[in-house]
Amino acid sequence: MNDFKIKIREQSDVQIIDLKGYLDAHTASEFEQTMQKLINEKKFNILVNCKNLSYISSAGLGVFMAYIEEVRKYKGDIKLANMPPKIYNVFDILGFPLIYEIYNNEEEALKKFLKKS
Amino acid sequence: MVNFRKNFSKLFNLILAVAFFIFGLLVDIIGKNFETQPIYKDVFKILAFLFFFFYIKVNWKRESIPLRRLVAILILGVVLITLTLTLSILSVNFEFQEKSNILIPVNFLTIFISNLVTLIVGVSSLILLFAIRDIFYYKQKKNTARNFLILNLLLIATAISSFNIDPLDSRLLTKILFGLFIFSTFIFSFKMPWIVYLTKKDKALTILFSFLVIVSFSVLSVLYQDSSQTGKLVLYYSPVIYNFTKGIFSLIVIYSIIAFLSTIFHLPTADAFDKKMNEISSLHNLSKLITQVLDFDELVSTVTKTTLEVCEAEASWLEINKTFLKPNHKYKSFETDSSFAVIAHLNISPQDIKVINESLIINLREKIATDRKPLIIQNFKMESSGKENNSKVGSLIAVPLITRDELFGVLYATKSMEYGFDQEDLDIASAFADQAAIAIDNSKLIEKSIERERLVREMSLAQGMQQKLLPQRIPEIKAIEIEAFFSPAFEVGGDYYDFLMIDEQNLAIVIGDVSGKGISAAFYMSEMKGIFQSLCKIFPSPKQFLVKANEVISASIDKKSFISLVYATLNLETGLLRVARAGHCPIIHSSGTEAKYIRPNGIGLGMGNNKLFEKFISEVEIKLSNNDVLVFYTDGITEAHPTGGEEYGYTRLLETVKRNQSKSAIEIRDEIISSVNQHTNNEPPFDDITLIILKWFGKKIGDKDERF
Repeated sequence: MNDFKIKIREQSDVQIIDLKGYLDAHTASEFEQTMQKLINEKKFNILVNCKNLSYISSAGLGVFMAYIEEVRKYKGDIKLANMPPKIYNVFDILGFPLIYEIYNNEEEALKKFLKKS
Repeated sequence: MVNFRKNFSKLFNLILAVAFFIFGLLVDIIGKNFETQPIYKDVFKILAFLFFFFYIKVNWKRESIPLRRLVAILILGVVLITLTLTLSILSVNFEFQEKSNILIPVNFLTIFISNLVTLIVGVSSLILLFAIRDIFYYKQKKNTARNFLILNLLLIATAISSFNIDPLDSRLLTKILFGLFIFSTFIFSFKMPWIVYLTKKDKALTILFSFLVIVSFSVLSVLYQDSSQTGKLVLYYSPVIYNFTKGIFSLIVIYSIIAFLSTIFHLPTADAFDKKMNEISSLHNLSKLITQVLDFDELVSTVTKTTLEVCEAEASWLEINKTFLKPNHKYKSFETDSSFAVIAHLNISPQDIKVINESLIINLREKIATDRKPLIIQNFKMESSGKENNSKVGSLIAVPLITRDELFGVLYATKSMEYGFDQEDLDIASAFADQAAIAIDNSKLIEKSIERERLVREMSLAQGMQQKLLPQRIPEIKAIEIEAFFSPAFEVGGDYYDFLMIDEQNLAIVIGDVSGKGISAAFYMSEMKGIFQSLCKIFPSPKQFLVKANEVISASIDKKSFISLVYATLNLETGLLRVARAGHCPIIHSSGTEAKYIRPNGIGLGMGNNKLFEKFISEVEIKLSNNDVLVFYTDGITEAHPTGGEEYGYTRLLETVKRNQSKSAIEIRDEIISSVNQHTNNEPPFDDITLIILKWFGKKIGDKDERF
C-alpha cells in the first residue's frame, strides 16, 4: 500500500500542512479530518505544502474544494506551495490555479498571508 | 397420564413407608409385654425406613452451594434438639422397665412416643444423609461417589449388624463396624474442596456455622445416647434405626469439626485466594468476549472494566492509535494527541486523564512505545511536575497493547493509594492486555472484511450502471470515422462519454470524468448523461452548454465532488469544430505532421459558482482539414503507470498520435492502447481508461467513393 502522511506545523499564525505520498480516495478522508480539525479550531490561514506529494486523485482535489468556501468566508485562505510539476499539472488541468493561489515555495505563500493580515 | 404415573410412583414409596410403619406400630402394641420380640418386628421397621429413604431420594433436589446445606443441617439439628427437650420438659409419662437386655414399655403412650420420636429422628437422619451428600459431592471427582458409597455401606452394615438383637445388648461386630465407619469418615472428610473456593466472607460464615453444627449435633448425640430416656425410645423401636441415627450424628459432628478446622487454616490465604478467583473469572469473561468481537464499542468498554477487576484498580482507560478507528467512527472518543485517542474510560473523566498526562514529567506513551514493556508508577506525586496536582491518583500502571509487532494502544489503571500495585498486578494486567490486544485486533479485522465485502458489492453495482450509461454503439456517419475504447478499473473511476446528433449537421461529443469512485461516481454520471441528452439541443454553443451544465450540476453535487468535461460540436458539412473544456484533459488535434493539445481555459463542473465558472470558461473553434485526427481521452491514459513507475504522460500520447496520424481511426486507437499497455507492462489499470478517436474525411468523401 502506498503511504500517506500528514504533518501540521504552525508559523506566524499560518497552519502549514505537509502532505506526503499518495493522496487518493482511500487516504483523502485522513486529509479531510485534518482540515476539519483546523477549521473547528478556527484556524483559517492554511498553507498546504505539496513538496512530497507523489500522487493526487480527484478525491484528494475534492478536499481542497470542500473547505475553500468556508475558509474564505472567515477571511482566511487555502494556499498551495512547492508542487512538483506532475502534481501541478493535475491541478492545472482542472483549473485550480484560477481559483487557488499556488506558489513555488512556502516563503512566498507565507509572505502573502502576512501581507493580508 | 405420565405425570400421574410419576406422582403415583413417588406416592407409592410414601404409602408403603407409612404402611410398614403402621405395621411396626401394631406389632409393638400387640407385643407390648412380650419378653422376646419376633423377627418380623425389625423387618417391618427397617422396610418402613427403607421406603422413606426411597421417597426422599426421588424427591431430593440437589443444592450446589455447600454453605447453604450446612445451614440446613444446622436448622434441622436445632429443630431436633428443641423437639427432644420439649419432650423432656413436658414430662410426659413414658418409661421402660429393663429386664436383662429387654426394654418393656410401661404403658401404650410410651409405645406411641417411641414410634413418633423415631419417625422424626429417623427421617431427619435420612434427610441429613442427603444433605451431607450434597456437600460431599461439591466439585466431585472420580472417586467421590465411591468414597461416599463406602461410607454409606459401612453405616448400613453397622446398622444391620444389630439386627434382631435385644435393645440393650450389643454385638462386637457392631462395635468394630462402627469404629471402621468413624475411621473412614475421618479419612474421607479431609477432602473438602469447597472450602478453598469460598470467599473470605463465606469462610467466616462457614467457621460460625460449622461450630454451631458441632455443638448442636454433640448435644443431640448426648440426648440420644443409649443410657438416656430419649435414646431408649429409639433403641426400643429398633436398634438398627438407632445405630443408623447415631452414625449419621457422628458423621455430621466429625465432618463439621474437620470443616471448622480446615476453614480456620484457610483463613490467612483467603484474601489472596479471593483475588486470584477474581482474576480468573475476569480473564474467563474476556475469553468469552473474544468471540463477541462484532461490537467494537462494547469490546473496548469491557476491556476497561475487566482491567479494573483484574488489578483491583479504581479507574482505567484505553488509548489506541487513531488509524485503528474507522474514519467517521461513532465511538465516544477524545484525542490525546495527533495520533492517539482515548476510546474508553471508566471512573475517570477525560479532563482528569488530560491532567494526568500533562502533570507527568515523562511522556508515558512514548516511553511504553520505546520500551514495549508494562510500566508502573508507584508514587504519582513524585513523578509528576507538581503543578495542578489535585488528581486522585496515587499509583498508576500502563500496559502496551501489541499485535503483529506494532504498538497500537495502551491500557492504563490507577489507584488513589501510593504503592497500590505490585508486580503480580502488573503481570496479570499484561497477560490480560495480550488477550485484549488480540480481541481488539480481531474486531478490527472483522470490521475491515465486512467493509471490503460491502465495497466489492457496491463496485459491481456501479460498474453495471456505468456500462448501461455509456453508448451501446457508435454512430455511423459518412464524413467521419469514430472509434471509442473503454476499459473499466476494478473500482469504477467515473469515466463517461457520449455522442449525439444535435441536428442533421451537427454532432455533439462529450467526454468526462466524475470525481470519486463507486456508486456516487455512477450516480453523477447518470445525472451528466441526462444533462447532456437534454441540454445539447438547446445550447448549441459548447461554452453555453457547459455554463448551463455547471448551473444544474452545482445545485446537486456534493462540495467535494466535481466533473471534468470536454464538450465539442462538429459541423459535418463544414468541418468546423467548436470545443470548450471544463477542467478535463485537453484534446489532441493532429493535422498532417503537426499534433497539438487544444486547451481552452475552464474549471471543472461543480468547482465554482456560476459567475466564477463563466468567468473562466472559453471556447475554441478549429476548421478541420481532410484526414485530421481528434483524440479525446481521460486521465486513465495519461496517468497509466506500471507499479512504482513513471506515468504514460502527455508527451508520449502526443507522439503516438503524431506517429500514427495517417492510419485509420481504429488503427490509431489500437496503437495508443498497445502503447499504453506496453508502458504499464500490461498491469491492470488503476483508473477507468476512455479513448475516442475521430478522423475527418471531409465533405469530399462522396467523391472518393465514386473514384473507387
